[in-house]
Amino acid sequence: MIDRILVWRGLSRCRRNGLPPGVCRYLEAVRKPLPHHTLLSQIRFVVFDTETTGFDLKKDKIISIGAIALCNQRIDVSDSFEVLVRQENVGAREAVSVHGLLRKDIAGGEDEKCAVAAFLDYIGNSVLVAQHAGFDVAMIDRLLHNYFGIRIFNDVVDTASLAKRLEKGPYYNLAHKAGEYRLDTLCERYHIRLHDRHTSAGDAYLTAQLYQRLLAKGYKSGIETAGAMLMK
Amino acid sequence: MPSNTIVERVAADLSQYPPFDLLEAAVLLDLASSIAIHYHEEGEVIFNKGDELRQAAFMVMKGAVRLFDTIDGEEVLVDLCDEGDIFGVLAIFGGSTYVLSAHVAEESLVYEMPAEKIRSLISADSAVSMFFAGEFAKSMQVMERTLTTAFDQRRLRYSEQSCRNFLAHETLEVKPVTNIITCSPDITIREAAKIMSDSNIGSILVVSPQNHPLGIITDTDLRKKVVAQPGSIKERPVHEIMSSPVYTITGGKTVADMVMLMVKTKLRHFCITADGTVDSPLEGIISEHDIITSEGNNPAVIMKQIMAAEKVDQLKNERDKAENLLQIYLNQDVAVHFISSIITEINDALIVKAIVFSTADMRREGRQMPDIPFCWLSLGSEGRKEQLLRTDQDNALLYADVPAGREDEVHGYFLELGGRVTSMLQQVGFSKCPAEVMASNDQWCQSLSAWKKYFSRWILNPEPKALMHSTIFFDFRPVHGDAGLAAELKRSIFDEITKGRGFLEFFAKNALQNPPPLSFFRNFLVEKSRDHANEFDIKARAMMPLSDAARVLAYELRIPDYLSTAERFRKLAELLPPEKDLCLEAASAYEFLMRLRVVNGIEQHSAGRYIKPESLNKIERQMLRNVFSTIGQVQKTLNLRFQLDYIRD
Repeated sequence: MIDRILVWRGLSRCRRNGLPPGVCRYLEAVRKPLPHHTLLSQIRFVVFDTETTGFDLKKDKIISIGAIALCNQRIDVSDSFEVLVRQENVGAREAVSVHGLLRKDIAGGEDEKCAVAAFLDYIGNSVLVAQHAGFDVAMIDRLLHNYFGIRIFNDVVDTASLAKRLEKGPYYNLAHKAGEYRLDTLCERYHIRLHDRHTSAGDAYLTAQLYQRLLAKGYKSGIETAGAMLMK
Repeated sequence: MPSNTIVERVAADLSQYPPFDLLEAAVLLDLASSIAIHYHEEGEVIFNKGDELRQAAFMVMKGAVRLFDTIDGEEVLVDLCDEGDIFGVLAIFGGSTYVLSAHVAEESLVYEMPAEKIRSLISADSAVSMFFAGEFAKSMQVMERTLTTAFDQRRLRYSEQSCRNFLAHETLEVKPVTNIITCSPDITIREAAKIMSDSNIGSILVVSPQNHPLGIITDTDLRKKVVAQPGSIKERPVHEIMSSPVYTITGGKTVADMVMLMVKTKLRHFCITADGTVDSPLEGIISEHDIITSEGNNPAVIMKQIMAAEKVDQLKNERDKAENLLQIYLNQDVAVHFISSIITEINDALIVKAIVFSTADMRREGRQMPDIPFCWLSLGSEGRKEQLLRTDQDNALLYADVPAGREDEVHGYFLELGGRVTSMLQQVGFSKCPAEVMASNDQWCQSLSAWKKYFSRWILNPEPKALMHSTIFFDFRPVHGDAGLAAELKRSIFDEITKGRGFLEFFAKNALQNPPPLSFFRNFLVEKSRDHANEFDIKARAMMPLSDAARVLAYELRIPDYLSTAERFRKLAELLPPEKDLCLEAASAYEFLMRLRVVNGIEQHSAGRYIKPESLNKIERQMLRNVFSTIGQVQKTLNLRFQLDYIRD
């Protein structure tokens, strides 16, 4: 309900040219929620990953977003997305060690506001998919709140939870064995060749391949619609 | 704008396999950015026979896909595709429905490439277009220039590296000497010798007033024909001692051409004239020295050493050198027909030398050669000029019919000669034939009439098993002695064959004994029978079916020349216009197989017959798959031509 109100408020700002066009196209697209009976084969999924300076939702910043679309079981390379986010005061320490990005790369990226607006324009009303999706969505939501007074309105699938659900059933306690559902571990388990770890686009591509296999596994357990996938 | 990171990742995956390994970076990235990646579980259907074509071609990136036809409700396996294999390319070339079904054999990741993208690549890049022409023919299951294109592609693939190594040598043009010293035919030998010594040259060309080459005088001529002769002939005109005519050629010859020419003609000087004949003005001269100094390791040198050899162990040395040369040529990707002609010339020279040594030895022991012409025959692969590695000896001796009463004397002499030559060849490194098919065997050292009788028996009473063992005799080739005897034998074989038509059918049937495998899958050979083997017998499964087929057709069409399998197929292409393309493909296929076998043989220090599929790279596997389909087509043609289905047991 709060979502409806936020969308409506955003759209009325759009009419007063108060928001960038990409954001407005996004709001138009998500105005109507996805019907639960929609077949998975008809949905455009956007598998994405964010790269951040750390794991503190309040202090840390997004330095890149990578994404790739998956429709009807096919990962579509032509429908992919990658943006580097310019962050002036990011120390070399975190970024270089974890992400392999150099400071000059980060300094040469888009500014935060444009980057996140471009991402919204790219995802439209797709169902979002990410590994440990909660964190990435929260990071983006914080930017959206600050710049546009909105948040992500799309349905979201977390591949770690989905894998756990398909392998162990919905009530398995993930907290105790977090290691079993890390992206590396999952890729290994599903025979996906690891490469380009720790760039957002590389991880998004790996996550997309993982999701492809989870979808196939899900079909076998009768998960064929948006409602079944999102447990709504 | 698609993600660079992902596009580059996909491009890197694509570039592991042909034809994408040859694409320029920008083109490859553009293709990668258009790819869709599909995951399939075992048993899933990608498409079925009769389905409408999808606007894409597919490439297996991981896993395996089974392609099969359905005939009368029964599945007929056509291919098993593994990593890097491309299938479903019909969409690129038009058509409306799939002619095969593609089902997932094990969990697979399949790249879909938009047909439109591939089409534009094909029009822009010749390597890609040739590659897909091959893939297309495969998927249509029709033979449409598959191999010719595939081999062109291979040439392209290797041209870069071989040019770098090889252009520096063999494909370089030999620069003729153009400031030639000449003289007229009327000057005296003494004057000519003075010019030569004044100009410090080893030879002088004798020319007509129009500057047409008439002959040549070399240091050797002066030494042998003048100095060594009694009496004074120095005042005689030069035309009396010159070597004439001279061998003339046109300009622009490469080192490889010249080496071949030297080996063949055993000459040391070649004149370049305006039109390549003796009736046009002289433009330059190329001497042995020019050729040798333009390249170090040289068959002509080996040849010369063989000719000059005085002892058997020298021959062995030269044959060892020839083996090194073979390896150099293989590394440099020199055409197989060139390599095999060189090696054949060298082997032949060794045989001739062994015969010369043996007759001389016998003469010294007081055994004179009878005044009966004889001919030394090479059989089997040596007879077909295809022996690259030193394998077993297969030879025979043929002598003219002997006047009554002298049979034992003549037979005794030649049998002794055969024995000496074969054991000498053994010392040189050609091991004995285990089946004793050699001129040292009483049975295979015979008069012309006896040989005619052998063939007549094989032809008129063809018995499958005996026939199989006699095929090597049908590849006989005269190496030394009176070639007229061999020609006479061949004529009589043709006559016998006309009398007994059934023979060719048996012969053809023999060529169909071994159907080719389908293809390779990982480290297995995929068979129609589905008994997958992990070793590939290149001789029995690929080379023999082709050489058997070429032999049958060569005898059916009465080709009198002594040809190799590839040469037979090229000749057949002229004689059988409807089968022209197939014959040319078969010729290329056979040469490809020869190279593969010899490379494998050198690596394994064996005859190269058994090949481990894991030692083959992707392009070799794809080439072999095309070769298999050519063999299948050749067998089908043979089957139809001789209507063998009627006599199949």
